[in-house]
Amino acid sequence: MAILRKDLIRELRTREMLISMILFVLLAMVIFHYAFTVKEGADLTYFTGGMLWVTFIFAMLLGLNRSFAQEKDERCLDGLLLCPVDRVTIFFAKTAGNLIFLLIIQVVAVPVFTLFFVERSYVGDLLPFLVVLLLADVGICALGTLLATISMNTRSRDLLLPIIFLPLIVPVLIAATGATTLIFAEGAGFGGLLARVLFLLGFDVVFIVAAYGTYDFAIGE
Amino acid sequence: MKQLVSAPALFVEAGICLVVGLLLAFLYAPVDASSMGFSQKIFFYHVPIAETALVAFGVAFVAAIAYLRTQDLKWDRLGLVCVRLGLLFSLLVMVTGMIWGKAAWGVWWAWEPRLTTFLLVCFLYIAYLVLRSVVEEEQRRATYAAVFAIIAFIDVPMTFFATRFLPEGLHPVVITTSGTGMEGSMLVSFLVSMLGMTLLLVAFIRRDLTVEDLKDRVADLKNTIGG
Amino acid sequence: MPLEIEVEGLRKTFGRREVLKGLSFSLERGGFLSIFGPNGAGKTTTLRVLATLLTAGAGTVRVAGHDVREDPMPVRRTIGFISHNPMLYLDLTAEENLRFYADMYGVDDREARITELLERLELSHRRHDVVRTYSKGMRQRLAIARAILHRPRVLLLDEPHSGLDPRAVDILDGLLTEIRDEHTFVMVTHNIAKGLEWGTRLMIIEHGRIAYEHAAGVDPGSFSAVYREHVQEGSVL
Repeated sequence: MAILRKDLIRELRTREMLISMILFVLLAMVIFHYAFTVKEGADLTYFTGGMLWVTFIFAMLLGLNRSFAQEKDERCLDGLLLCPVDRVTIFFAKTAGNLIFLLIIQVVAVPVFTLFFVERSYVGDLLPFLVVLLLADVGICALGTLLATISMNTRSRDLLLPIIFLPLIVPVLIAATGATTLIFAEGAGFGGLLARVLFLLGFDVVFIVAAYGTYDFAIGE
Repeated sequence: MKQLVSAPALFVEAGICLVVGLLLAFLYAPVDASSMGFSQKIFFYHVPIAETALVAFGVAFVAAIAYLRTQDLKWDRLGLVCVRLGLLFSLLVMVTGMIWGKAAWGVWWAWEPRLTTFLLVCFLYIAYLVLRSVVEEEQRRATYAAVFAIIAFIDVPMTFFATRFLPEGLHPVVITTSGTGMEGSMLVSFLVSMLGMTLLLVAFIRRDLTVEDLKDRVADLKNTIGG
Repeated sequence: MPLEIEVEGLRKTFGRREVLKGLSFSLERGGFLSIFGPNGAGKTTTLRVLATLLTAGAGTVRVAGHDVREDPMPVRRTIGFISHNPMLYLDLTAEENLRFYADMYGVDDREARITELLERLELSHRRHDVVRTYSKGMRQRLAIARAILHRPRVLLLDEPHSGLDPRAVDILDGLLTEIRDEHTFVMVTHNIAKGLEWGTRLMIIEHGRIAYEHAAGVDPGSFSAVYREHVQEGSVL
């Protein structure tokens, strides 16, 4: 998709957003360590899922703001809207772009995180882990893109996004952290994670449909 | 018939139902056999308030869809009124829930499904109001608010569902699959309160719609005089 | 001559302010409409409605035979929009920008067309440079290329001469002359000289209404007088 390619080229060229997000994520991990290990030898095993996903969600907030800020400058958004493309196509392209960025960050962040915080080897559970990761990512990106489209057009742009995004993403957070912590702490196959995986899948489907129905309104004028 | 549905009458009817419900709850329904005893009575208000809040948000959801289809601002107004009322009721749910929690289990707060869902609901709809406050242009504000109202309402059951993944909480389940779990007399009191609460909601909706309409008209007049 | 643009009772409200109060006009194919008026009169709003960027509150607007509200896609294919915002991606090269838009519009002979336009606008030597390094005049020129890439039949211009250096003005004028035939134009401008030079129809919009409408052939001096008569704020000739 042309839009996707354009966004990717642009980002890869400047690498601003990616580098900032990766640095943010890594720094957050360091901060978490110091924040939580006040007691000597505190066991963070059951905090791992939470730490990981909180970091990703806040990093996405940064990234979402950026990806739309660029459209707002130079009124490129007008240029996009003038083209004979469905508004929904724009939504999917933007979401896909954000998803790819998130995945890139995760490719870097997860190994580092494992190094810092995870005692157990979870190679055996790698597949379920990746599935959970992907499903949660889709939900975050789809919902995030829709909301960023709205918040971009308001007076307090990037301040608004966390307020409207965070309450909505809590279900995903709950499911993802639960699943991830289980995998990191005790190990769980698809069986134990089934409920959460199905939930994430359902969440994604429902909200993509909702975005599909409302995106025209969100982006138009 | 119209007399019965007019705004002041509605308030009266709601008031009557609620008072009757209260009386029934205290005098007619037996004291709860389980450990909670007398404090369980708060349930007769707590649950109706909760369900009414959800009804309000549901109406906002429908109004949002209607607005997106018709672009008629009256739906936006209905949505705003319903969200505000829903938010108010939700805060009450939290308060009554916390009182009940303290009385029955000795803790002010517990991270269990229903309380936390309503906490998030509060945040969600406060976000709705914040969103409205940062968009100046009317049509656009209504559009964004509508989109958010739709998404938010879908998110509520999702949140509730998700919170059930956590370890079982202290909240007693009222409506089980095997029946309502309440004896007849309790049921009656409960339903009366429920009716009263719903009537109260409708009464407030009507009143607030009128207030909003007046506000808009005043703003229009100001504009004409000023500009 | 078939009508390329038909506007009937166009109204638009922003919040409580009614910006367009019932505009009606039409333009035949091949015509050139110059729109003048003070700031905030509703000129740009009108243009944006024609461009499908804004939805009208009331009234019908047809461009190239299609209703902009019911059927915006074909409209978008036939129009090109040039405004003082270049709508270019600063971190992409000129070539990448044009390629992107060419893809979005489905231009068949993409590479040839891009090369042709870059030459016409004297930007070939910088085609691989990132737009961020372009001067304002160059960006405007690239924006023009972007606008006519897909060979639109109707061109909507929002103060296209503003901020252009003389060379760029010449290039723009040269381009307009070249494609003058068989294209329809609507230009919003504060530049009365240019507006009179090009326009076959002249229009002044004031407070959301058409204050004056006339076919071309008006002497600049008397037009200025008419303009000042209708408009509180004057404009630079």
